[in-house]
Amino acid sequence: MTRQLRRGRRAVAALLLTAGILSFGYVADASYVAEQLVYAAPTPIDKTPASLGLRFAYVSFPSRQDHLTLRGWFIPGVLPNGRLTADRAIVVVHGTRTNRESKGDHQLQLTGELAKHGLAVLAFDMRGAGESTPAPLSMGTLEQRDVLGAVDFLHNGPIPMPELGRPRVIGGLGISMGAATLLMAAAREPAIQAVVSDSAYAEVVPLLEREVPKRKVAVLGHVPGGFVPAALVMSRILYDVDYFAARPVDSIATIAPRPLFLIHGLADDYVPLSNFQRLNAAASAPSTAHVTTWLVPKARHAQAFKVTGAEYVTRVVSFFDASLGADRSLTGVAA
Amino acid sequence: MRATRPGLPLVVVLAVAAALLAIATVARVISARAGFLVERESVLVVWLVGLFVAAVLVAWVSRAAFRRASSPLNLWLLALTAVALASPLLLIFAQHPSS
Repeated sequence: MTRQLRRGRRAVAALLLTAGILSFGYVADASYVAEQLVYAAPTPIDKTPASLGLRFAYVSFPSRQDHLTLRGWFIPGVLPNGRLTADRAIVVVHGTRTNRESKGDHQLQLTGELAKHGLAVLAFDMRGAGESTPAPLSMGTLEQRDVLGAVDFLHNGPIPMPELGRPRVIGGLGISMGAATLLMAAAREPAIQAVVSDSAYAEVVPLLEREVPKRKVAVLGHVPGGFVPAALVMSRILYDVDYFAARPVDSIATIAPRPLFLIHGLADDYVPLSNFQRLNAAASAPSTAHVTTWLVPKARHAQAFKVTGAEYVTRVVSFFDASLGADRSLTGVAA
Repeated sequence: MRATRPGLPLVVVLAVAAALLAIATVARVISARAGFLVERESVLVVWLVGLFVAAVLVAWVSRAAFRRASSPLNLWLLALTAVALASPLLLIFAQHPSS
């Protein structure tokens, strides 16, 4: 054996050994990160709309397509004369790693305010959250089926409060991941006639690539950034969760000519303002688009309602009044 | 037969990758009926065990092929096997800076 061949053998041996150890180690670690990524522990629900003095009904309904059981509240709107109405229903969609109460962004208070302004609210836990069926967290890719299930429930399901009848029109309000999910669902479902999107991302992968390395996972501690692309691929292989498909920016234009209200905090450093700008540009592209925007000073991620309070409620209610029309139940039903 | 042996590790690497994907799919489909909380852990365990068996198999076949490699062509084939093995690492460069 020549000297050159011996050197070649040593180089190839080193190459094989290094490639084998690094590759199998990399894929194994990325698989573990993927397993952690798709799981969000459900958070308990502590308060109900009753804590705000509102009447409500517990409801459950299946998601569209995969029929997972979702649980929530149906809260009738309260008319100025104190009577209840279900004429205009708003599907409220919560963000990631929370539930229909969503303490962090004060969602229960917000839904309560909508109800007190005459809008009925369907607030529910998306798959894997709160009291709904455990399921992987897909950042909107699969959760949009839950929003579509909510629309089906309002259209065809058992009427939560039979004395109020079925809603005449349906709108939607989503926050953060809920907003992104709602945008994708509304693009597919024309029955959602008006959409309020608060703090939505244009696409989720850049967000995950930036945020996942900041998180600590058991055993590994902080996840090195280089593992994230492989973890995203492994999520697809192992759990059928395609984060690459969570891109509301691709479908938001389809919402036109239905009215769309985009809200974003100017101090949002979690979903940067560039996401709002991309969504707004895409949504406004069709000539029939009807897009309203509001950039909220000093508001961090999903904190616009917390920062502005009554102004937020006034703007959102005015948007729904203009988009869905006034309540037509006339007198409503006595509370 | 002897002439094709140095190429065997490359064939095994590709076959093992295909087998692992198939195993993961089957494990996911079968255990989905048990509910997600069970599924997510069992799928990971099946996958990691499969990965370990695959690593042992590839190492064994590569070692045998390496011992018999006696020509530059044989070594080039093994180097190509190392490149195929390293291909998952290319995903490290797939990162997009967040906008």
